[in-house]
Amino acid sequence: MNKHLRHHWNVSNRREFFARAGSGLGAIALGSMLAEGAETPKKTHFPPKAKSVIWLFMEGGPSHIDLFDPKPELNKLAGQPMPASFGKPITAMGTGGNTLMGSPRTWTQHGQSGIWVSEWYPHIARHVDDMTVIRSCWANGLNHVGSVCQMNTGDILAGRPALGAWVTYGLGTANKNLPTFVVLTDDKEVLGGPKNWSSGFLPATYQGTQFRQGDTPILNLKPGDGVTDERQRSRLSLLKQLNQHWGADKTEDTDLDARVKSFELAYEMQSAGAEAVDITKETEATRSLYGMDSEDTRQFGHNCLLARRLVERGVRFVELYCGSGSGWDAHSNIEGNHGKWCKVSDKPIAGLLADLKQRGLLQDTLVVWGGEFGRTPFNEKGNGRDHNPWGFTMWMAGGGAKGGQYVGTTDEIGLRAVDKPCHVHDIHASILYALGMDHLQMTYQHNGRAERPTIVGGTIFKEIFA
Amino acid sequence: MRLFAVLLLTGAAIALLAETGQKKEFTPSQKRWWAFQPVKADPSATIDSLLRAKMAEKGVAPNPAADKVTLLRRASLVLTGLPPSPEETQAFLADAAPNAFEKVVDRLLASPAYGERWARHWLDLARYADSEGFKADETRPNVWRYRDYVIRSFNADKPYDRFVKEQIAGDELYPNDLDAKVAVGFNRHFPDESNAANIRQRRQELLFDITDVTGSVFLGLTYGCAKCHDHKFDPILQKDYYRLQAFYANTRIEDEAVLLPGPELAEWSARNAAWEAKTAGIRAEMKALLDVPRKTKFDDRLSRFPEEIKETILLEPAKRTPFQWHMYMKAKAQVTFSDAECANALRGAPAKRYAELKKELAAFDSIKPADLPMAQTLAEMHTEAPKTFLLKSGNFEAPADEVAPGFLSILDASDANVSNGRRSALANWIANPANPLTARVMVNRVWHYQFGRGISATPSDFGLMGERPANLALLDHLTASFIADGWSLKKLQKRIMLSAAWQQSSDNNPASAAKDSENKLWWKYPRHRLEGEAVRDSMLAVSGRLNAKMFGQPVFPPLPAGVVTRGGWKVNADPSEHDRRSVYVFVRRNTRYPMFEAFDMPDTHESCARRNMTINPSQSLELMNSRLVTEWSRSFAARVRNDGGQSLDGMLERAWKLAYQRQPKEAERLTARQFLERQTKLTGDEAQAWADLCQTLLSTNEFLYVN
Repeated sequence: MNKHLRHHWNVSNRREFFARAGSGLGAIALGSMLAEGAETPKKTHFPPKAKSVIWLFMEGGPSHIDLFDPKPELNKLAGQPMPASFGKPITAMGTGGNTLMGSPRTWTQHGQSGIWVSEWYPHIARHVDDMTVIRSCWANGLNHVGSVCQMNTGDILAGRPALGAWVTYGLGTANKNLPTFVVLTDDKEVLGGPKNWSSGFLPATYQGTQFRQGDTPILNLKPGDGVTDERQRSRLSLLKQLNQHWGADKTEDTDLDARVKSFELAYEMQSAGAEAVDITKETEATRSLYGMDSEDTRQFGHNCLLARRLVERGVRFVELYCGSGSGWDAHSNIEGNHGKWCKVSDKPIAGLLADLKQRGLLQDTLVVWGGEFGRTPFNEKGNGRDHNPWGFTMWMAGGGAKGGQYVGTTDEIGLRAVDKPCHVHDIHASILYALGMDHLQMTYQHNGRAERPTIVGGTIFKEIFA
Repeated sequence: MRLFAVLLLTGAAIALLAETGQKKEFTPSQKRWWAFQPVKADPSATIDSLLRAKMAEKGVAPNPAADKVTLLRRASLVLTGLPPSPEETQAFLADAAPNAFEKVVDRLLASPAYGERWARHWLDLARYADSEGFKADETRPNVWRYRDYVIRSFNADKPYDRFVKEQIAGDELYPNDLDAKVAVGFNRHFPDESNAANIRQRRQELLFDITDVTGSVFLGLTYGCAKCHDHKFDPILQKDYYRLQAFYANTRIEDEAVLLPGPELAEWSARNAAWEAKTAGIRAEMKALLDVPRKTKFDDRLSRFPEEIKETILLEPAKRTPFQWHMYMKAKAQVTFSDAECANALRGAPAKRYAELKKELAAFDSIKPADLPMAQTLAEMHTEAPKTFLLKSGNFEAPADEVAPGFLSILDASDANVSNGRRSALANWIANPANPLTARVMVNRVWHYQFGRGISATPSDFGLMGERPANLALLDHLTASFIADGWSLKKLQKRIMLSAAWQQSSDNNPASAAKDSENKLWWKYPRHRLEGEAVRDSMLAVSGRLNAKMFGQPVFPPLPAGVVTRGGWKVNADPSEHDRRSVYVFVRRNTRYPMFEAFDMPDTHESCARRNMTINPSQSLELMNSRLVTEWSRSFAARVRNDGGQSLDGMLERAWKLAYQRQPKEAERLTARQFLERQTKLTGDEAQAWADLCQTLLSTNEFLYVN
């Protein structure tokens, strides 16, 4: 005992500290937690096209018909009631009988592929040759909270695991010192809150970790005031001693060892987590690429930069909200609302794509853009648009996604997906496919059912991928 | 490995399905399924005879009894969620009577902390939360009365059949019992969306929730899949799902159930009438002022509903069909606006006048009776129930055949033949001793919470996809005694805890482990981790801070900086409230209390029968760095230094006895002394060094596990 104490009293660095303090830290310590947990990489069903996902979630519902899905017919019909042939839907705000509202946007074809993008997204438009634009997305929810929940978990009712949790369950981690599934938000709370990155019925190990702003991204990551590294290490070595005392005749119980190990992971996480969010070493050029030099784009640019740093460090699934708390929800004054949020997101996203590409990370990182739904072709309050889950646009870039192509279309006014409708479950199935996972084979036994990420649906859209 | 196991299981199930084919008839193997057979018990058996018979078959020897300290600690943690005090430990160690342990069990079962501990288990099952969920996650101001009802019921050892009946149909069966009115709130705990526009869909989702939870909690059946098709494995028809749902077809939310007995209510009404008479003029003028914004708000909200709902809201009450009544009641909350909401919308002269009137009205506060105590619960809607239809693929817009209330066809294929008071019929069927599921399910749950694993390891799934009981004879023996004991949970607990099986040590035995590595024969007591709530309560108890005050409004201890909650979190001004037991901490559906969340508190969106028991770095970070644990450790250290006498050894002994109920061993003393010396040098503060020692004790496996 005394000998042990002296040993780690003299160690010079952390690695040595654990190497010496942990005389019992062998393969057994990788016990039940590690076998069942998120701690080990696992085999995939298909050869993976991507290693990580960055999901750019435009919360509140961006208008597809003002960004990626031009509708000349809508402009012709503007001011008239919607023709009955399109089928009047029940909407969140009861606007189904309102007149159609044209899009005043200027549309241009971009890149080699000639993909249409409106002038609201000039920087992103330069990357269309890396993007598959899915213009036929659809979902089930009418209200934000259900729809955000479905986009994350597959169901409009909360309680199921988020896609990121499934990915963690299915793939395990590539960096055990950082969470595998990280969520970044603006100042406001995402509607429905942590339900959206919950592990649902999967063990808590798989849930998303919301990174907080500042230098302490994870709750309790920083030792309390005045607790030096030396003091903390001393405490941890005492803890190990006491656990070893009590556990000496319980070595068959791998849980006890795993818990000892989890303190070491937590200790490592303290520095790894702080390092991951420390952008002081990023160059001015990089910051400026992400728009961090301008007030409008500084915060979201910062998060986009963090997303790159996280996937660089092996984080599998980064979900990045723009407009958290329904920012894009333009029931009125869509010009002002979308004008603002497009500005906030355009340069940072373009910067992220460019940076990933120049660092050779884009080929392994599937970047997904979209909201929880799109917006209606008919007006609300004269100058806004209501929620539209029946047809909207999402795009994917990198991570094996084909560049410069469309998948699917909406009807002539952009109300409903008509060709190759791509449901939320199909999006989830396709993202999992990119990561090498078959959504049908990825199951977890819960309440008597073999649950899977896509519940009872899901078709892989293989045409998205090269 | 797990994926593989799941695949194997699915394979077996599919084989069974192939046997079933498309026939509606149940297969012989479905009819023979253990859970649907009557309970068969051998009256001469005991827990130990039944377990040992199985062990003998496999040539496995049971472990010897655990030492007295381990046993006392185990009993205290399991029954109360709190470690024994040094005094309780001393008393037990000094008691050489053969029934010394029995006395401990009796003492713990009689302790108020027992109900607080076991209510938490039940609240997991009831998907209890103090808020709505969905976007706004508003507070449900009166649901805590249900939590108190559960605590009182456990402490009073309410017979379980009565407990079940109260929660399904207490309002119908015991109309004069105010507790029973609160109890029906069991099925009020669904997450709900306050601003749902699609009311039809929302109502159907609530009925799904209620039907699913009723099945899993009381019957141990997960038949959610039968809302879309006949159950693929278990003998549960899609029709059965809707037959069961029909019992709840005429039930509505009742958020203002008055909880005053007749005479007190009469007195309240008289005082209120006096206040109303004196204030009639003022209130009439206030109402007139508020009517203006109220109308605007009403019209605005109304316009967002689909036509069908708009018409229903505007329809003359007498003309509403039973179904329209349900739509109306669900929509009503959205088109009803409080005085405060309307007053906020007033501007200029009316706003000024309203403020004056409010002041005038306040002058009469002294004669105004206090607000009525109310429960949030369920009640019967209408004299006539709306029809229930089987829904194609569970789609509320695709009704097929009409169904009448009825039970599971495998047990009783006839219709229940009730029109009103439907839930009573369901309650009586479920809480009937002849129902092969109800008592068995609860007995297995008790075993699960006692041992950390049930006789069937899937306590809410007795179907084919669940795990078969490892010892059916044992489950049946306990079930028969449970019913014979008048469904007494305390007697059942005591019976289990006085068995040799429960009192065994948790030590490993390589010979036994070689034959039964998963301990399915219960040759040792399964060591398991405490839940987050019990970890917190134990820390509070050891640090001497625990505020044992029972019942009442939920409490809001401070949240770590940066944790935001929509719906509000108003920290209690009185800091002693922060140290109340965990069961009283407000349960915000969308934001679990961080410490509980780290330690696997279930997500309150559906019933949880078995908590995950993960080991992850966020738990370790909580124990290492959280402000809470640091503060409690300081209190623990101060207590130790205050009570431990002058000597270092005395203080160390006090610390070990508080945390572990034992003396420190020689080697531990040495380690601790050296640590204190080192830490004092590092911090320059002996008190700090002690706090560090105490925090470490609270983070050890010995503290966190039921051994």
